[in-house]
Amino acid sequence: MDFSAFSSQFLVGLSRAMILFVVCGGLSFVLGVLRVPNIAHGSLYMIGAFATFTLAKLIGGSAGFWIALIVAPMLVALISLIAERGLFCHLYQREHLMLLLFTFAISLILGDLVKIVWGAEYRSVAPPALLKGSISLLGISLPRYNLFLIIIGPLVAIAIWLFTNKTRIGKISRAAAVDREMVGVLGINVSWVFAIAFVIGCYLAGVGGALVAPTASIIIGMDHSLIIEAFLIVTIGGLGNMWGALVGSLIFGVTQSLGVLIWPQFAIVFPYVAVVIVLLWRPKGLLKSVW
Amino acid sequence: MRRRVIIKSLQIATIFLATSLILLPAGVKAQRPIKVGVIDTYVGPAAMFCNEALNGFKLALDEINKKGVLGTKIEFTTRDDKWRVDLGVSMAKELVMRENVDLIVGTINSAVSLAVSDYVKGEKVPYIVWISKSEKITGEKGHRYVFSSGENTAMAGKAAGVALSRKPYIKYWIAGDDYEYGHAIADGIWRNLKAMKPSVEKMGETWWKTGEPDLIPYFTSVMGAKPDAFIVCGGGMTMANSLKACKTTGIHEKIPVFMHTATDYAVLKPLGLEAPEGVMGTMDYHFYYPDTPANKAFVKAFQDAYGTPPGFPAFHGYITAHFVAEAFKKAGAVDKEKFINALEGMVIDTPVGRVEMRACYHQAVLPMYLGVTKKVPQYNFLISGDIATLTGKDVMPSCEEIMKARGK
Repeated sequence: MDFSAFSSQFLVGLSRAMILFVVCGGLSFVLGVLRVPNIAHGSLYMIGAFATFTLAKLIGGSAGFWIALIVAPMLVALISLIAERGLFCHLYQREHLMLLLFTFAISLILGDLVKIVWGAEYRSVAPPALLKGSISLLGISLPRYNLFLIIIGPLVAIAIWLFTNKTRIGKISRAAAVDREMVGVLGINVSWVFAIAFVIGCYLAGVGGALVAPTASIIIGMDHSLIIEAFLIVTIGGLGNMWGALVGSLIFGVTQSLGVLIWPQFAIVFPYVAVVIVLLWRPKGLLKSVW
Repeated sequence: MRRRVIIKSLQIATIFLATSLILLPAGVKAQRPIKVGVIDTYVGPAAMFCNEALNGFKLALDEINKKGVLGTKIEFTTRDDKWRVDLGVSMAKELVMRENVDLIVGTINSAVSLAVSDYVKGEKVPYIVWISKSEKITGEKGHRYVFSSGENTAMAGKAAGVALSRKPYIKYWIAGDDYEYGHAIADGIWRNLKAMKPSVEKMGETWWKTGEPDLIPYFTSVMGAKPDAFIVCGGGMTMANSLKACKTTGIHEKIPVFMHTATDYAVLKPLGLEAPEGVMGTMDYHFYYPDTPANKAFVKAFQDAYGTPPGFPAFHGYITAHFVAEAFKKAGAVDKEKFINALEGMVIDTPVGRVEMRACYHQAVLPMYLGVTKKVPQYNFLISGDIATLTGKDVMPSCEEIMKARGK
């Protein structure tokens, strides 16, 4: 194994980790603030990808993808707002098992709705012209789109950090994550704080779906494979901890990618072995869980 | 007097009713339609292929039922196995025990096909597999009651072996879906290639979980290993993802890539003009090839009925219906054993020419079209170009080989 192969594999893993982070960051945010284990998060990611396909096709050209990247997550946010105000907001006080079953039901409904709207065929979105092909640097070859993902990931992380630390609503969300009763006692409308936190979390699922669209086929069922990985990631990172989601995504993405290089026949098991090791070592996750 | 007349007429009516009730079952039995049970996956990614196969089947039945078979019609009822083996078997049981079907057709999932095949063997019900491609179905696990109207991994493997043995490549890397079909196709290709050209070497293998959406990490690692050629083994979705990963990584420009069904319309269409050019693939049906009146007529009928040209599942569904109808006609009765005897060795006219159901191991003898993905002006998606046809007989294992595999 030479250095360039190792490096390009590492970078590809890193880019995969960035998509996972965007999705898991949203899931973790919802888990932290609302204490809702939202299985439907994966379905929103899928809707984000399908919406990106439709918008990119309607608009056409490279501009299509860029506009879809902005608009599709907003559509997902809108759907999540309707779901939150109509359904979720009545259920926050229920026990976790109940919420788990409820969100599972929502994911099945959304999955079927996607099938009705977009059908069972798979869809494909081409990356914009600017990001097609690979670049070579010091013998390391990396697809341009993956490089774009490596840049986008930290930007999203910074945006989330700015939101939770520098804005009033972000600070309230963090406070609500730690002690929701105290926030209510202070006269803040907790219900709307929850709604905003939920919509932001789901918006990130939509961004993840839009970002993944050019790298993979868009198809019903893509939510199931993702949501399992996403829950593993937020668990090893520390439930509800945004930075934990980042660390978890990096571990998952990079071990998967390097596993392919080291022992390709058994590449599938590497990320899961990493999860087992982390959980044996730190059962509550690597970083501090807010639960 | 009037009362007697009424009683008399009531008596006559009773006798008439009783006689007709006694005679009716025999009459109905002769008139009863032929009942086909269809088991397939109608949820998830596989649904696209299964719905198409069913459409092909329906199209053929519409034609067949206009004239009728043995003075009756062929009817069908569908069951969804949801890609699950346990569900597939319970659906088969339900169709046999409750619906009393005369035969079962369908199944895309090889594992389901093998399980259903095992069940129908005990129940002595004919079963025609139309999409699943594991060679075990009509190979080592084959028996009197199971048939296949589609191509299988042995045929795909042999076709690929023939194609690749003519190329100068020595060092190969094989990758694919980590389930029955992926491994079966990989084994089939490698076994045949190694037999035809013993100098080839396998550098390594990579397996990903079925449905893995992002194959880029797997492809970049193969690029790093620098084999002479790269073989990808997987089903429809994986083909699409693999072509996408080819385009993104540009691997096909550096290392020749072979994927069994890369040239399939269902795989290439959604990718539009974004599919990579020059990827080698084999396929047993194209709506644009062969350019014969029979194929054109089938394509037109399918296009008129469903608004899209037929892919390979539609072709398999279509010929399955014709095999069923012709076999019942030849058998002369709705009888399972006679049906099997009739179907063995039967030759029918299909859109791609005469197709035989090989008598010794119940496999349809289909041609295999070897080609490369290519852009052409008349379509807004890529098609298979530079097609070389391998005849069914060239790519199929001999009866002796199959009997050996079955331990006979």
